[in-house]
Amino acid sequence: MNRRIRAMALALAAVTSLALLAGCGDDAADDAATSAEEAPAAEASITIEDGWVRATEGTEDTTMTAAFMDIENSSDAEIVLLGASSSVAGMTQLHEMVMDDEGAMTMQEVDGGLPIEADGHAHLEPGGYHVMLMGLKQALAPGDEVSLTLEFDDGSTQELLLPVKAFTEEEPHYHESEGADGNMDEDTDMDSDMDMEESPSP
Amino acid sequence: MTTPPENQPSSAGAESAGQGPSRRRVLSYAGVGGLGLLGGVALGGRVSAADQATAPTTPQPVVPGRVSPYGAHQPGVIAPTPLANRLVAFTVNEEFDFDAAGRLMRLWTSSIEAVTQGRPAPGDTARDLAQDNVDLTVTVGWGPDLFTKIDRVEQMPPGLVRIPAFTHDQLEAAWSGGDLLLMIAANDDTTVTHVMRRLVLDAGPFARVRWEQSGSWRRLDASHQPHTGRNLFGQVDGTGNLALDHELFDATVWAKAPDWFAGGTTMVVRRISMNLDTWDELTRQEQELSVGRDLDQGAPLTGAHEADLPDFKALDDTGNPVIPLDSHLALSHHSANGGARILRRGMNYTTYDAVRQRHDSGLIFVSFQADLGAQFVPIQRSLDRADQLNEWTIAVGSAEFAVLPGFAEGTWLGQPLLG
Repeated sequence: MNRRIRAMALALAAVTSLALLAGCGDDAADDAATSAEEAPAAEASITIEDGWVRATEGTEDTTMTAAFMDIENSSDAEIVLLGASSSVAGMTQLHEMVMDDEGAMTMQEVDGGLPIEADGHAHLEPGGYHVMLMGLKQALAPGDEVSLTLEFDDGSTQELLLPVKAFTEEEPHYHESEGADGNMDEDTDMDSDMDMEESPSP
Repeated sequence: MTTPPENQPSSAGAESAGQGPSRRRVLSYAGVGGLGLLGGVALGGRVSAADQATAPTTPQPVVPGRVSPYGAHQPGVIAPTPLANRLVAFTVNEEFDFDAAGRLMRLWTSSIEAVTQGRPAPGDTARDLAQDNVDLTVTVGWGPDLFTKIDRVEQMPPGLVRIPAFTHDQLEAAWSGGDLLLMIAANDDTTVTHVMRRLVLDAGPFARVRWEQSGSWRRLDASHQPHTGRNLFGQVDGTGNLALDHELFDATVWAKAPDWFAGGTTMVVRRISMNLDTWDELTRQEQELSVGRDLDQGAPLTGAHEADLPDFKALDDTGNPVIPLDSHLALSHHSANGGARILRRGMNYTTYDAVRQRHDSGLIFVSFQADLGAQFVPIQRSLDRADQLNEWTIAVGSAEFAVLPGFAEGTWLGQPLLG
């Protein structure tokens, strides 16, 4: 399956994506990795940290969203993230951002899964790899929890419970929506929908 | 700063006296007379093994590290007050309810777990601002009104009572009250600011900021060793706080009821404006008499060292108490308040008031206690009645919060009540 989903041709997304593909060995990631090794090594060859799912409440397209996380492989063999499933989504795919023939960044399903090298890690984050959740069965509000099961090529699975968070970056950067037209308007729907009415009661 | 000032006298004499290799002196903090030689404290963490071997009694400089977010108590309650401190109070939205409280606490928990370990909060678009080893703690509290708003009034800790009005208060709404509180503290203000922004964004769908206060503290002395620190009157402030291993510490600080709140505490936040200009008009002796301690070391006027216990019965030549009965020390001491104690901390603030065209300086006073009504209130009543310091201080803000118990990995803040 090679369903390509056209996203915005934004330099920012391209830069982020390239940086992710090229250089996952930054200091912050190394620190994150070393700080997460409290569980016994036998069962902790895969450690997943700081996962989250983008809220759909108040967004233009509430039928799809994405999950992001840091995946650490502390084993001495490459492990491939093959896929994921979630009870809130009709279909779940691993996506990456690539440049299409016209120079625009597009999302596409990762062919053959996402390899995580021995003693390495993968960042799943906006503008880069992510777990696409499609055909959502419910709206996702900030603070909800989404269960997600990751499947790896060694036959293991990881059951996650991820918090849903509002996302501050403009929606079309990583997620096509019907209304996306390339307008860099700062006042996105997400922002304006997060009403903070009510005056203080001293 | 690793190079000694050029105008220091030559230390050749000291070296020839056999007090140590020259290398240590080059690295030592200040080569003034012989003191620097004894110090042996290297800036920038540069202490070689040889240096340590020749100076085994030299305390190592305290360096910032990581504080685990997990435990029976939120770690920020007992962590030493670091350089940068931010208190942010929120008012929750009208539709906020029990379910919303759980959602917000889960979001804050996941962010706190990451940022305290030097990792970006999930979804942080400025992940490079996550800093490691800055002693970062984040402490979460709930105001009394929150229990009404989540329909759990009967679960409000009995130790959380509303602070009564005091005669010397001139409270402003801009610094008072709040449904939720974050205390973000670290040895780096950029980190504190960034973490605050992420946590305020987490709270965006649920609450808006009601007030925010920033204060600084110097927790290490010139040798990078822990010390009590000073407020803007120049007083050593915080002397006599119970040590963690003191037999009374747990009973003083940690609440036991209701069940869900075991390991929590109550928190008082008072913004105390200090009139530095009129304070400056006093003689040094008058300043020391008003607080009952000397300014140099913070020693009680009946003692010589900060840790000396005050002797309230000691009389001077004229038959008057050496420590005046209306001094801050005498009136706030547990012996004058039925044994009531609190765990207190202070943070200095100064802002410029453009309308009045003057600086406003003061202390953000924070106290933790198991029972606010039985511990903080009687002490504050005594002070309100007669404290000499009232002449130069005014409380302009006041708020109280229930500081949630700590949480373990895999659980979240407030889960015992909200989960």
